Amino acid sequence: MGRRRTVLALVKKEFLQVFRDKMMIRLIFVAPILQLLLLGYAVNLDVRLIYTAVFDHDRTEISREFLRSFSADDYFVIDAPDIPITQAEKGFRENRYNAALVIPEDFSERLEAGQEARVGFWVDGTNANAAGIAIGYAGLITQKFNERMTPLERPITLHKKFLYNPEAKTIYFMVPAIVATLLTSLTVMLTSMAIVREREMGTLEQVMVTPISTPAFIMGKTIPFAILGFIEITVALAVGIAWFRIPFVGSPLLLYSLAFVYLFTVLGVGMFISTISHTQQQAMFFGWFFSVFAILTSGFFTPVANMPAVVRYITLANPLQYFMKIVRGIIMKGATAGDLYREIAAMFVFGAVIFSFSWIRFSKRTK
Amino acid sequence: MTPGNTPVPIEVRGFKKLYGSIVAVDGIDLSLGKAEILAVAGPDGAGKTTLFRSICGLVDFTEGKISVDGYHIPKDFEAVKPILGYMPQIFSLYPDLSVEENLAFYAGLFGLSRDEFRTKKERLYEFSGLGAFADRRVQNLSGGMKQKLALSCNLIHNPEILVLDEPTTGVDPLSRRQFWDILADLKREGASILVSTPYMDEVGRADRAIFMNRGKLLAEGTPEDLVNRYQGRVYEAPVEVTSAGMRKLDGLGIRAGRFGATLHIYTHEMVDGGSVTTALEGAGLAPGGVKEIEPGLEDVFIQLMGVEPGNEHNSEGATHD
Repeated sequence: MGRRRTVLALVKKEFLQVFRDKMMIRLIFVAPILQLLLLGYAVNLDVRLIYTAVFDHDRTEISREFLRSFSADDYFVIDAPDIPITQAEKGFRENRYNAALVIPEDFSERLEAGQEARVGFWVDGTNANAAGIAIGYAGLITQKFNERMTPLERPITLHKKFLYNPEAKTIYFMVPAIVATLLTSLTVMLTSMAIVREREMGTLEQVMVTPISTPAFIMGKTIPFAILGFIEITVALAVGIAWFRIPFVGSPLLLYSLAFVYLFTVLGVGMFISTISHTQQQAMFFGWFFSVFAILTSGFFTPVANMPAVVRYITLANPLQYFMKIVRGIIMKGATAGDLYREIAAMFVFGAVIFSFSWIRFSKRTK
Repeated sequence: MTPGNTPVPIEVRGFKKLYGSIVAVDGIDLSLGKAEILAVAGPDGAGKTTLFRSICGLVDFTEGKISVDGYHIPKDFEAVKPILGYMPQIFSLYPDLSVEENLAFYAGLFGLSRDEFRTKKERLYEFSGLGAFADRRVQNLSGGMKQKLALSCNLIHNPEILVLDEPTTGVDPLSRRQFWDILADLKREGASILVSTPYMDEVGRADRAIFMNRGKLLAEGTPEDLVNRYQGRVYEAPVEVTSAGMRKLDGLGIRAGRFGATLHIYTHEMVDGGSVTTALEGAGLAPGGVKEIEPGLEDVFIQLMGVEPGNEHNSEGATHD
């Protein structure tokens, strides 16, 4: 009875403080929406409208046909610049175009003679990701062109199909990732800062001479941020579904249950940070450091499989990586608990280890 | 001594605390009696806060024994929490919460029910006069009101023992007086109060006092006892002296303390006012009308402390506010 009142008093106080702070409300409710809108529109990994300079030295019907096949979709925007090919690089430096297509003089001649014709395709490698995609498109277009020109009666055609995300929309893949990262950075930062603020202000000392037990204190300090975390992911999901029309294939109950398990990890990290920080700035810095590390090695932008072996091993220690798979799996593929058993096991292990370790450390720090 | 209901709510023996090689407190003994107000007086750095925080189980100490209500500290501190109220030196309530929200928070921590809180709240408002400011945010309260609220939060569970670390520092004179009126009421109701202060005038309102300086105990006794400790005469001269001037006096072997616009000169029994005037003139001061006065607690303190150059006790308004 006494314990329940104590925890309730702490939770109530924490909410009063959070909702009285206009900055906090902005941070909690406006930030996720802004993040979604920004990432939804700006961080579009779909590559389209590749400005391509064309140097057609052949100038025949065949070469023009080849160029038309390039401009048929909106992947490439082709243009024949008024400059000699020797100055083509200047156009890249000035960002006037990101690719160049060079058709040699003997292009049609060789094709008509049934010989191999070479076409040059240069692409701006500054953005390696976009460059790779552009080369892929160019290859596909060339392949299709070959098929049309080939004398074979039944040309081999390649059928591509994107599973789970047929339109290959970046936003479908971003929203779940944002849900996972928001829950991570928000809870880590808020928990650690809320505890450190009390220490910084001296209120922790005042609280510690009351008969409150350490478990009650920890519960009082974590429950509010767990609740805020749930509110946060709900806001992000609602915006994703209502605005970006992302399909939610799997079970929301499973997602929320696993988010609950994941909370032990992030709240534990927040608590741990509070034991190594003396000021709120320090806590914020540690929280930021953790979040950046966790996000970069989580497969948010770059698939973990593409990372070098050493980094891949490091990512095994990143709880967000597993949670990211869980969130994307449930939302996009409708994954079940059975499909995700490895990630779920990881969630439980991380949660148990990190939370109990921080609990012990925290208890020792405050006695 | 059995824990609980002992005749000595707080007992400290041979208390010593080192921070690294720096001695913060060097061998303090004190005992707080039931329904007694014991004041611990001394300047900044005397070691009062270290002593008080140790009594409240917040720091480990190097040597000595502390018992609160018969319980060993820090080992059995948990047992004492329900009957102890501690006001830290630094104001430590939530500035972004209102007066009532702060009280409700502490009521929750001590496990009071809603009804218990309502009754208690009214009583606390009654004696603190904070009822009119119940919805005001703490950050918008005056210094005196803040301290009354901090005390109120510590009274929510009817503690038998109060440990108050400089509760009136930085508070206006009227509020300080009101604060001590509240302490007197609490004492009448049976509370035992250990309170530290840098103001000597407040020592006069305690039952007993301890003078501390640089971690050491200088004297102990009732305010009357302590005043009688003064040996020699005290002369007052209406001159304002700079720190450099004080060093000069010290160099000439004149013991003195600054009291705002006046100077107190401490002499042997045989020295008369005329010689004091001459001595001051010799130091380049022009005292107009040196007269002998009754020694106050502050004068006792300065005499006990021994005035050291650059370390003279700065009597922050002890006599004139």
